[in-house]
Amino acid sequence: MRDTLRWAYALNQWNVRLDVFVRHEDQQRALKTASACGFDTIELASGTGRWDNISRPEVILLNHGSHQGFLDFLRRAKVHGVSSMFWDPQQPTEEEEGYAFRSTANPADHDAIVEWSKPFVDFVAGVGADQLVVRPVGSAWMSPPLDADGIKLIGDVWNRIGELTSAAGLGLALHYDCLGAVHTEAELTGLLDATDPATVGLALDTAEFTVGGIDPVAFYREHADRVTHVHLKDTRYADTGEEYRMPGAESTMLKGGAGRRIERWFYELGTEGGLVDVKGFVAALRENNYPGWVVVESDHGGNPAELAMLNSWYLQHELGVAKR
Amino acid sequence: MVWTKWSYMDHWVTETPQGPQPPSFNRAYMDRYIKQLSALGFTGFDTFFFYLPFYAGMYGGVPGFERFLRDNGFDKITGIFSAYPSATKYTAPHVRETHDRIVADCTTTLRMCEGLTGVENFIVMPTSTYYQTEPVTDDTIKVVADLWNRVGKLTLEQGIKTTCHFEFWGAIRTREQLDTFFRYTDPELVHFFCDTAQHTIAGVDPVQLFRDYKDRCTGFHFKDTKNVDEHEAYRTPPDPELMAPQVTRWFYEMGEGGLVDFPALMKEIVASGYDGWLTVEHDKAELGGGSYAEATAVAKWYIDNVLAEAEARSELSGSIQGARR
Repeated sequence: MRDTLRWAYALNQWNVRLDVFVRHEDQQRALKTASACGFDTIELASGTGRWDNISRPEVILLNHGSHQGFLDFLRRAKVHGVSSMFWDPQQPTEEEEGYAFRSTANPADHDAIVEWSKPFVDFVAGVGADQLVVRPVGSAWMSPPLDADGIKLIGDVWNRIGELTSAAGLGLALHYDCLGAVHTEAELTGLLDATDPATVGLALDTAEFTVGGIDPVAFYREHADRVTHVHLKDTRYADTGEEYRMPGAESTMLKGGAGRRIERWFYELGTEGGLVDVKGFVAALRENNYPGWVVVESDHGGNPAELAMLNSWYLQHELGVAKR
Repeated sequence: MVWTKWSYMDHWVTETPQGPQPPSFNRAYMDRYIKQLSALGFTGFDTFFFYLPFYAGMYGGVPGFERFLRDNGFDKITGIFSAYPSATKYTAPHVRETHDRIVADCTTTLRMCEGLTGVENFIVMPTSTYYQTEPVTDDTIKVVADLWNRVGKLTLEQGIKTTCHFEFWGAIRTREQLDTFFRYTDPELVHFFCDTAQHTIAGVDPVQLFRDYKDRCTGFHFKDTKNVDEHEAYRTPPDPELMAPQVTRWFYEMGEGGLVDFPALMKEIVASGYDGWLTVEHDKAELGGGSYAEATAVAKWYIDNVLAEAEARSELSGSIQGARR
């Protein structure tokens, strides 16, 4: 996609389960799909183990020999590079970390989390990407509400990792999500205040913000200087009943297992009844000469190729972005 | 120059609340389907005669559907596909007594195309299944040829060319049978539609076939196959495409390591001066867990990269030869 903005596409929607998206030819088909839709840069998402072989730095390198080998693999499909990689240190990983559960909210875990970040920092730098995008804190339902001191502790660990990313020439972007323990606008601005603007930015996900009750356009206009990364997707729903606090909200809320039984929260751009003002948001990015990546994604929303094509259609026909 | 006249043949299955269905499930699914094709850059749309009433219902007439296509960057409906795969006592191209009924059916279909921008091809399966038609003799082929000469005259009056699309399991399938058929049909009235996979499965080289019949060729189905029919699967009743014992999936999208040499075909097309539509077809892409959406994106990637290069090389070689002359 050719524009004043830098567009990329997230591969996370293809990698929806542990035992899929493993064969290289399947990955090539996804890359070709993104390329045919006009996206020549991708965002990777972290994973674990031998089947997440396009998601875990050590395993990617094992598969492709080197950073260059992996880039060559992408370029076979005319995908020229990697914009960013998403990593959630709260996610227990198997062989790599011995299934340890750790949390940025627990200072006793901080040293280990900083250590865990290093393969990601090295890999993101090694493939020439710009941003390490991270989930700053675990889900709200798993811990008591955070007070200002709790948020400051979380900021501490990201400041430490921000020093590592900066030293590697990378940005570090904290990705707000709608289940996170940093949930309200006040909590989010508290976390931004607790982190160093020189090394730690915000990944603004338009749908996650909207589900979580924060207006992405207004927030962006107020905090444009801190937004260093964007995930662009839509939603038809907002969490108006604090469902994010339900036990097991990952399935009880996000997979429709309880509450309102909403089975799918995230939608492609241009979806009927979409709550995100996509055009207004993109206009705000342009007004601010936003310099980062805009990563289009359709997180667990259905057939990945269909959604990639619909997103491409929206960019071309509604946002006026030239495909080539 | 990059080839811009890429059309898409209207096979598609998508997930709906009632399971996997064609996008004609409802208007909203059709809208999504057409947007996806548009995003990839297709500008022509080929469809089946039996979908026309659905589209007319959804969009206030077939021209209304075409207007919707145009609103999404398409040029027009490029081809209408009609077929009698199963011979019945009412309709069987090799039975002369059924021809009046078939001509009447074609007239009905043509009536539905009135008001369209310019459908170019009335694409027909010239015969029913091989096993229902055999023995296939010269006389059998002559009867079939007479039917399509008649239909060809009819469609031409509406500015549409009747063009014959042969199946590997149809009664006219070998190179010798194809040559006989073309000899018995009037080149002004009956044209050739080259389905790359169907010919390959039947053991006929589609590139050579195009070379030999390029003057009568009015369109293509670009699809691939990984198998030549070596076990007379073409005689499997009642349907070799889904019931052949040896091969469970015959058709693949381009770029998946199949047998068809698409770059060679592209070079021949450019060298021939053909300037019509090239149509991508995915037939039964869902077999084995495939997705029509992904197949379409991957095929368009192949067009944008591999075929564009073959096309450019052919043009370069043509201009060098022109300069030498």
